[in-house]
Amino acid sequence: MSNEHVTEPEVNETQNVSPLDDFDTAETVSTAPVSDDSILDFDDDPLSATSVSKKSLVIFFLIDTSGSMKGKKMGELNTVMEELIPEIRRVGEADTEVKVAVLTFSTEVRWMYSTPIPIEDFEWARLRASGVTSMGAAFKELNHRMSRNSFLSSPSLSFAPVIFLMTDGYPSDDYKEGLRELQTNSWYKFGLKAALGIGQEANDNILAEFTGSKDTVVHAYSGGQLAQMIKIIAVASSQIGSKSMTLSDDTNHELGEEDVFAAKQKLLGQQIQELVSTQTDGDDVPFDTGW
Amino acid sequence: MIMFNGFSHSVMGASHEKTNLVCQDSSAFKVGDHYAVAVVADGHGSKKHFRSHLGSKFAVEATIEAIDRFYEDREALEANLPTNHKLIIKNIEKQIISNWNMKVEKHLAENPVTDEEKSKFTPEEFEAIPPESYYGSTLVAGITGDNYTFGVQIGDGSFVAIFEDGRAVMPMEYNESAPANVTASVCNSNAASMFSSFYAPNRKLIAMYGSTDGLYASFGSEHDFLDYHTIITSQLVNLDTFKEIIKNNLTKRSRFGTEDDISLSCIYNENLLKDRIDLINKRVAENKKAAADRKAAMLEKKV
Repeated sequence: MSNEHVTEPEVNETQNVSPLDDFDTAETVSTAPVSDDSILDFDDDPLSATSVSKKSLVIFFLIDTSGSMKGKKMGELNTVMEELIPEIRRVGEADTEVKVAVLTFSTEVRWMYSTPIPIEDFEWARLRASGVTSMGAAFKELNHRMSRNSFLSSPSLSFAPVIFLMTDGYPSDDYKEGLRELQTNSWYKFGLKAALGIGQEANDNILAEFTGSKDTVVHAYSGGQLAQMIKIIAVASSQIGSKSMTLSDDTNHELGEEDVFAAKQKLLGQQIQELVSTQTDGDDVPFDTGW
Repeated sequence: MIMFNGFSHSVMGASHEKTNLVCQDSSAFKVGDHYAVAVVADGHGSKKHFRSHLGSKFAVEATIEAIDRFYEDREALEANLPTNHKLIIKNIEKQIISNWNMKVEKHLAENPVTDEEKSKFTPEEFEAIPPESYYGSTLVAGITGDNYTFGVQIGDGSFVAIFEDGRAVMPMEYNESAPANVTASVCNSNAASMFSSFYAPNRKLIAMYGSTDGLYASFGSEHDFLDYHTIITSQLVNLDTFKEIIKNNLTKRSRFGTEDDISLSCIYNENLLKDRIDLINKRVAENKKAAADRKAAMLEKKV
């Protein structure tokens, strides 16, 4: 039997391990610091055609576009979302890629784009309001898409999603059935959730059912408040959502997924309430007064 | 005459550099007589797996030793593979775990747990850890012969194969309901039954890659991950000069991407690659266009 093409394996040699007798231990581990210049010099690197993806986070916006949102509410929401996108680009740690997915719900549910879009490429499409409030259908669609086989398929996905619900009224369908389905979804369970009630008709109890706690539910009664609340929630949840938690607490006990989720959701609630308490009403006209 | 060649490389994660941890990945490749093996292993990072850098090294060695043993009678093995591949692969998996356990037992006997290692646990916590867990690791191993390829995997990590048609595919199917899921480890008491495997008969392999999950996680999409491997394949004709580029790229992917350890091991058919190099280059160009088309479709508004 010919051995002429046998090649001894190149075995990874770590710092604390002595070489084995049976294998050549050609050094294959790059442990010495490599200068940034040599790493970044990719003029001749054919592999630079596929970019390096940072750890990524998906923010889901669920937005009520039913008929009652027509007028000042929808106008203000469109404007603040256009202004918000550049702010989210600056958010989070420098090593996180944020992607955005927007689901609108009225009589039908519809995604703004067919897939989550990196914040650098995201352009807001101005929404129009008409129809009823199919919140239950929205929950079911969200459940379907929050999956490794769908919107959460990116290999670089490193954080649980942020889910932000905005609505101005009662659901017109069986939202509880949709919510029950959604609550079986692990991404939903461990995701950071917040909700914004717009105007007098929004029911904070339903929103608290969605988020799991009242301190992650806020209410806006005017255009100015709407703008403030959307920015507060979106920025705070993006920052916390993209935070890498330490793997152990002070007692050196390793934190599991549930611990990390609980800590982040609690932090989000605290931050939202602190920020909300510092906001002023100003001279803004409430949504629900006639003019 | 088939000529196999390969390469393997592991880089320490940027996060491990910051915390003075060692690289917990290991990798190797071996070219034998009419067969080749590519192996990577990723030692577990959590506290109770404090010797996992050794566990991953033992996993790689155990695999190559097991394969070498089965290929001592290559002709008999290859004659049986078509009809008995499931049994043969199962026996290889068992041999790997057996080899690994022997290495762990030997190392532990010669190197008892130190007080410093124990100091990270309460006495009760430490007593509850099975000793083999100290060395826990994943394992991804691909083997190819003249006209067949198979692979075994326990825990996370990825295979990419490029067959004669020049298209990169991930040949392993992952059954989410099966016990061999991404949390499986060579240190599990029933590890031998927790493998996933694939067998691709009657297909000539151009190149196959095994990688630890740090590499996959540095990509934004599975398409990009596959395209990356096609590009590497197109450069294998100049392996000696390309090796440094691969090492730099893996380092970049760890530093600017996942910050995790990354390992990549490759075996390829030199002759077939030379024959198909024009096709591979064509696939690289096709992939680039497809990526641009996908991006354009992604940015199309639906409301």
